[in-house]
Amino acid sequence: MNLTRRQFHKFALGAPCVAALGGMINSADIQAAAKIDSNIHGVQFGLQPFCYHDLPMNIENRPVLIQRMIQNGLGVVELHATWVEPRFTGPDVTPEEARDKIRQWRRSTGPDYYKKVKQEFDDAGISIFTYYVNFSASHTDEEIDATFEAAKTLGAKGVIGSYGLAVAKRLAPFPGKHGMFAGLHNHDNLSDPDAFSTEESFIKGLSFSPDFKATLDVRHFTAANQDCLGFMERHHDRMSSVHLGDRRRNNGRSTPFGQGDAPIIPLLCMIRDNHWPIVALLEFEHGTLLSGVEEVQICFDYCKRALE
Amino acid sequence: MIIPGKPLPIDRSKRASRRHGQLAHSVYCLAALLVALFLAAIAARAQAGNGEKGVINFLEPKLSDPVLQHSKEIYVLNGCAYCHGVDLKVRNGEAADLMHSALVGADVDGNLLAPLLRSGIPQTPKLSPMPQFSDLSDREIADIVRWIHYARQDGRYKELASASDSAPGDAVAGKTYFDQRCGSCHSKQGDLSNAVGKYGAAALKLQILRPDVLQPTPSWRVGDLNNTKLITARKQHQKLLENYSASDVANVFAYLQMK
Repeated sequence: MNLTRRQFHKFALGAPCVAALGGMINSADIQAAAKIDSNIHGVQFGLQPFCYHDLPMNIENRPVLIQRMIQNGLGVVELHATWVEPRFTGPDVTPEEARDKIRQWRRSTGPDYYKKVKQEFDDAGISIFTYYVNFSASHTDEEIDATFEAAKTLGAKGVIGSYGLAVAKRLAPFPGKHGMFAGLHNHDNLSDPDAFSTEESFIKGLSFSPDFKATLDVRHFTAANQDCLGFMERHHDRMSSVHLGDRRRNNGRSTPFGQGDAPIIPLLCMIRDNHWPIVALLEFEHGTLLSGVEEVQICFDYCKRALE
Repeated sequence: MIIPGKPLPIDRSKRASRRHGQLAHSVYCLAALLVALFLAAIAARAQAGNGEKGVINFLEPKLSDPVLQHSKEIYVLNGCAYCHGVDLKVRNGEAADLMHSALVGADVDGNLLAPLLRSGIPQTPKLSPMPQFSDLSDREIADIVRWIHYARQDGRYKELASASDSAPGDAVAGKTYFDQRCGSCHSKQGDLSNAVGKYGAAALKLQILRPDVLQPTPSWRVGDLNNTKLITARKQHQKLLENYSASDVANVFAYLQMK
């Protein structure tokens, strides 16, 4: 039987169908949309392209981003809004003016714009899993709705971002309205009671809405001396994805994979063996003398070896 | 595994050639050329902006001083460049601006920066605290500190060289500054009596910022290593450069020009 590459992926990716325990996320959906197969032994890998540190996240670099993801063989992306939205900041623009302009742009930009962006990724065989927007108190309801609609048009399952409990509380009614989830993302700030940084803060945030999912940043969770594996065991049904990287404990520095305290290998094995539909998004912040493509490949290969 | 400089596995041009023959191959090559030109145009336009576009090579340009180049690599390897910028132009909005930080300006050979690097800044209202680097060796910490100071001097020189033309200086304030910071080595009536005539106005401003005679050239000759007068003068001027304000430079310039 001769299959084209496209047919092969459709066939191979359509076979395993693991229902999401949380309801909205279905790994088969994610895989079916992605033509680049980055599912490694049941673990769906993707990229938070922030870790192409040598590639500023802007519209102009989007073709390069896509090309790099093809090179790295990663078929799922968490797309930061800066890859999609124009930048209004500049030397003669105040932050308030820039904020007003982007708000206006978000409210006035129709779906055709986002469909074109989605097409670029579709053509490359890359699925946009989540759309990353840092919501803040300055976001109007209209702007939040427009952002979720934009994410939906891009084909994303959810919208995630870095914000604290107060903003999360305000976001609670929005994802359900749009048939999506909102991802809560942690850093390691233990001094700010509003921050997502501990298991307790996640429990509190997740209680605000059934449409909230944890996007567990393994690197920061480790640096905050938290228990990644225990968190996965207890809350896997409320998790959308992990941001996968390595760091040392006690607010330690980021390290290459395998040189820090993050339990990357056991964590991947847990996802694999329990058939959890939790997407593993590569996102590292350790320094490198290599290009972003080369370093991402080293990290991806490390994960592949762990799952073989 | 991707090997630098080697083509990556996906080679669409070969595939097209096999499938569609020579004509399709030519069309593909033409399209690829147009795409490449388009991307190059984008990159060129982007790089003409604030420098934070296109693809960044943190290690370029390579410095002639191998110690400084190594220091830059240690700075990059420890991820400092991702937030603070390799040239100290902040990339992450939350990171401290090391180019203008008073703490960096006051640091002498790491006496302030090294403890901060070792402890990090865990208590912060920012989203993500600065990590601690307690496990680095003394030499690695010294390398990071060396790079921060070098990059700051380089950046401040560029900033001040372009900014000092914008406002006329105050010669009286310049004399006060000169007496306090420069007077122990220089005199307007002595070694600098003909400074304006010697350099001309534009070049004199640059000499105030970074005197040519003190520019370091990589040398490990014992005689150069033991030239304490030159080394001390260089360090003092580097410290001044890190802390000059645009008005300081304009004022000293006005004072030196005053008859």
